[in-house]
Amino acid sequence: MEADLTFSLVGIGAFIAAFSLGIVLMFKMEEIRKLRITLDKLKRSFDELDEQAKLIVKTDLELNKTQEELDKKVSGLYTLQRLSRAISTTLDENQIFSRIEESLVIELGFERAIAFSFDSIPASLTDNTKNNSMSLRLKMQAGYNAEEIKKIKTHLEKQQILAVIMKNNTIFSSLTMTGGPLEEAIKIIKNICGLNSFVASVISTKDGHYGLIIMGNESSFAVLTEGDEEIVAILSTQLGQAIENAKLFEETFRSQQQLERRVKDRTRELSVALEEIKQVSKRKSEFVSAVSHELRTPLTSIKGYASILAAGKLGDIPEQVKARIEKINKHSNELTELINNLLDISRIESGRVELKIVPQNISQMIENISDMLMPPIKEKGMEFSLDLPKELPLVLADNIQIKRVFINLIGNAIKYSPAKGKINLSINRTKDDYLTINISDTGYGIPQEDLKKIFEEFYRVDTARTQGIKGTGLGLSLVKYIVEAHRGQIWATSKVGQGSTFSFTLPISK
Amino acid sequence: MPLSFGIGLSRNKDAYIAGREAARQAAGIIKNQDISIAFVFTTVQFNPEKILEGVKTVLSKTPVVGSSGAGIITSSGIYMNAVAVLAISSTKIKFATACVTDLDKKDLRDCGQKLARIALKGLGTSKREIFITFVDGLIKNGSQLIAGIKETLGISLPIIGGSSADDLKFKKTYQFFNKQVLTNSVVGVLVGENATIRIGIKHGWKPLGKPRIATSASGNIIKSIDNKPAISIYEDYFGKDNHEIKSGKLIYLSIRYPLGIYLEGEEEYLLRNAIDITQDGSLICQGDVPQNATLKLMMGTKETTLRAAAQAAEELKRTSGKHKPPKFAIIFDSFSRNRLLGRSAKDEIDVIKNILGKDIPFIGFYTYGEQAPLTALDYRGQSHFHNESIAILGIGEQ
Repeated sequence: MEADLTFSLVGIGAFIAAFSLGIVLMFKMEEIRKLRITLDKLKRSFDELDEQAKLIVKTDLELNKTQEELDKKVSGLYTLQRLSRAISTTLDENQIFSRIEESLVIELGFERAIAFSFDSIPASLTDNTKNNSMSLRLKMQAGYNAEEIKKIKTHLEKQQILAVIMKNNTIFSSLTMTGGPLEEAIKIIKNICGLNSFVASVISTKDGHYGLIIMGNESSFAVLTEGDEEIVAILSTQLGQAIENAKLFEETFRSQQQLERRVKDRTRELSVALEEIKQVSKRKSEFVSAVSHELRTPLTSIKGYASILAAGKLGDIPEQVKARIEKINKHSNELTELINNLLDISRIESGRVELKIVPQNISQMIENISDMLMPPIKEKGMEFSLDLPKELPLVLADNIQIKRVFINLIGNAIKYSPAKGKINLSINRTKDDYLTINISDTGYGIPQEDLKKIFEEFYRVDTARTQGIKGTGLGLSLVKYIVEAHRGQIWATSKVGQGSTFSFTLPISK
Repeated sequence: MPLSFGIGLSRNKDAYIAGREAARQAAGIIKNQDISIAFVFTTVQFNPEKILEGVKTVLSKTPVVGSSGAGIITSSGIYMNAVAVLAISSTKIKFATACVTDLDKKDLRDCGQKLARIALKGLGTSKREIFITFVDGLIKNGSQLIAGIKETLGISLPIIGGSSADDLKFKKTYQFFNKQVLTNSVVGVLVGENATIRIGIKHGWKPLGKPRIATSASGNIIKSIDNKPAISIYEDYFGKDNHEIKSGKLIYLSIRYPLGIYLEGEEEYLLRNAIDITQDGSLICQGDVPQNATLKLMMGTKETTLRAAAQAAEELKRTSGKHKPPKFAIIFDSFSRNRLLGRSAKDEIDVIKNILGKDIPFIGFYTYGEQAPLTALDYRGQSHFHNESIAILGIGEQ
């Protein structure tokens, strides 16, 4: 009985337990179901999140690439600008390429670069049937060793790549997709230059193709873009222009050098000639001086004897003889004046006359001269007027020599003017440091063609009016020498029939 | 004599002159004191033998260590063609150097142990502070090397360093050890005695999309992710047809979008560059990926990268605390950061300069990988291999 009761109690307990468990299980199942739903939701959110992440990553990748390209372009342009400046500031063809330094190549976004010039462009470039090879000369390189350069040069020279390049494109890169021989050439260049990607450009000048520049990357990490092509194209154009400029400069420089050499030669020749002339002139002066001295001695004797004869100291002489002796005397005087003038000129010319240049009162000087010249002026019934400023500064002059200038010029004015003519002496201060003295007359005047020559030695104006007037042709030369020895200038203006003006300048004493 | 140091930089085109010039500048600053050690960093356009020859004409008796980088960093800027030398003179700090060559023929864990052993022997009984490494950036698994070092020096000794880089051709990198120019090698410097060390490490890359599990991974190879061939993660995000998802090209994509390993308690994910793909679609990474690790695709932006650099520099300053601040810093900066920042790369240097201030000049290089400790408690300061990171090491005297 007890056992039955126990059994039934256990059974009830088990039932209750099972029932409770069932309920708990039911709740748990429900919870699990809910959790599953939440988990599914969570999973979905994760997946969604992941999808978003994919989107973000892709966008970021694109953004990075664009940014990288932009960065590369900007720094490339900066470098290009620096490089252009470096290239354009040299006019030496070899230096142009040496300025493309390795660091600049790297800054441009390339690891390696190589440039050659075409030493000769064979006929094969224009004629495909011929198989000539081309001769290249290395201009610059970055990132290659000597062995690699040799290999590249030999391959480029031997293979017909260059002909293909020049016929097709002047700028191309490993991005160029044209098919045919150019694409084949690109593959070969990649191979021989050890580049994974590259840009190449033919450098051209006005005279034609000059050379080839290749810039590229060995590593597959560096991605080539169209911007790179543009940069190399710009660089290549710059190089072409710089080479042209250098050539032009070279030509100009060479012709300038030639010109300079010629000028030097001519200058040397002229110096020699000038030296010779100086020698001749010196000898002439010495000769004139010697001859004049030699002439003066017998002339003094002639004059002396003529005076004795004329004075009748050796007895009376007939009137006719006396008249002849007077003539001898007069001509002897003229000869003496001529010789004296000649002597003076040669002395001044050779610098043997020592001028005593001291401050002078020019008004005073003129006054003295006027006294001396008044008799002949009056004799010809001429009028002499002065036109002087009230206050005149002192001039630097040798009193005796400048007096001779005045006497000569006023003397000429008297001599070459008809009776009752007018002579005017005026002074003005034209330049700050000089006084200009003008002596004008109303004389016969000097023809224009003679004006330039009147200061030459022994030159005389030959007109009907002047034929009867005596002169040595040395007076004006002497005057010119004297004025110039004073650092002054002398010139004349004239109109035939109206008169002449002789002007000269003298420095003012400060 | 207090700690003194000099930094020299040369951009001379002639490798020998560049090496000599940079060494002269650095040595010139330290007047009449024995130079304890010199660090040489260079880009690969130079002939490395000639550089070292130039350096050695000036520092003939000084221990020299160093590495090639994808670029040189100094307080004055970034240089893609330069040689930099850091010369240190200290009577309080001890430096013990070591190197192991032919890494590709040996077990990397063994190499790490051997390297640490040699260095340890050199340092003797002095207190150890930090281990600096320069390892060829082209070796496939940097984590194993670090594991080996940790096994010998203890897991909590911080390891910091950079993987040598070339000019992004991934062909040949160099390590410098005294008069030797090495490749396929690792060079280590154990720093000890009275040195104070400060470290800042950050990357700034952010996780994207849903988490995935490395369902099959061993060492630096991930065979499957979410039970699919590991490469599917890249195919999913970038499309199967993307020409960048293939052997030899993947590195260029993965430096931008690396995989991130989730680490409990760490502020940032631990990054892994996928450097290659095997026939069966497995990914070969630059560092270890643990089995069942939670992975995410990571993405960096200029802003987050610059912020991370600032944080790394701040960490250096903050941890300085009441201790003496460091006298100078060495920077190991991932070259992928330079790629990401592009023209703004210099901004990163400026950010660091602004935080460290004029009193802490720095020198460094762009790396193919970084070694540095993690900060979370769970990892007890253990060092790991990193990618896309900037690791800053500040050194001073106690």
